[in-house]
Amino acid sequence: MNEEWTLWLTFILIGLLATTLPRASFIVLGERASLPDVVQKALRYAPAAALAAIVVPDLVLVGGAVDVINPKLGGAIAAVLATQVSRNPWLPFAAGMAALWVLR
Amino acid sequence: MSPSFRAGAREGFRLCLPVSVGIIPWALVTGLAMVGAGFTVVQAMGMSLIVFGATAQLGTLPLIVAGAPLWLIVATALVVNLRFVIFSAALAKPLSGGTLAQRWLCGYALTDGVFATTLERLCSEPDPQRRLGFYLAPSLWCALVWQTATLVGVLAAGSVPSDWSLEFMASIALLVLLVPMSKVRPMLLAMLTGGALAVLLRGMPLRLGVMVAILGGIAAGFAAEHWQHRGGRRDE
Repeated sequence: MNEEWTLWLTFILIGLLATTLPRASFIVLGERASLPDVVQKALRYAPAAALAAIVVPDLVLVGGAVDVINPKLGGAIAAVLATQVSRNPWLPFAAGMAALWVLR
Repeated sequence: MSPSFRAGAREGFRLCLPVSVGIIPWALVTGLAMVGAGFTVVQAMGMSLIVFGATAQLGTLPLIVAGAPLWLIVATALVVNLRFVIFSAALAKPLSGGTLAQRWLCGYALTDGVFATTLERLCSEPDPQRRLGFYLAPSLWCALVWQTATLVGVLAAGSVPSDWSLEFMASIALLVLLVPMSKVRPMLLAMLTGGALAVLLRGMPLRLGVMVAILGGIAAGFAAEHWQHRGGRRDE
């Protein structure tokens, strides 16, 4: 399959199934449907679990093996510390990228 | 457009103006990260318009770059967006006065910021047309600001050398989202479980480990909340 074509198919499927559908779901269904309490409670943890599952391997794996002493983890720590020091939305990005470059 | 729709639109727009400014850094970073992942200007803006969701975009970039199977990319994006199902359920009643096309538009344009800012007022306003304007105007305005700032980020990234590792900005952005969530104990447990399982299960075929890790994290958070709740009751 052509790579360019696959990429656009990926965008369309994410856009339709993974963003527009959950957003429009109950607004479009109207008052005909409602969400059980237990489901609502469980769904609250989905973003945190998913984001961590995506970002943590990127920070602690080097070439497929666990190695916690690496520039990316240093950058991540700098970025998290920056969120604690100031509310400036740019600071975590500046601190994280600077730490990554320095440690590399 | 009825006068009450327009009155609601003006009011909602004014209320959400600060929110629309707050999303500018995120849009710029998302633009930079997409180019960092190797997308052309057209591909990056295509993703931005079709997907229109920073978490889904930033979260799937590493998977797209790693060549993960399509179903896993879509499933991961769906999981990070499941919160919108809850938001959508909360908005169903306030927006029920719109036509079908209007309600699809309301769904496409649903964002965290406008939802959080307008919900309380939406639930207390009696006029359906006014509610529709109050929600739609700031939502569409935020979409416009978002796409414009993303384009600026995408174009700016073109003049940045590739060894600057701009794609790392996606990881930083996800961390910045995680920090406020980590202040709630069960949420922190969901994160730690999800992160640890994703690392431990990295050898699973088809990157299935990511999905198992997410489900494990949700289960851990849900169980922790349950126990915390029971413990709290015993203390009373």
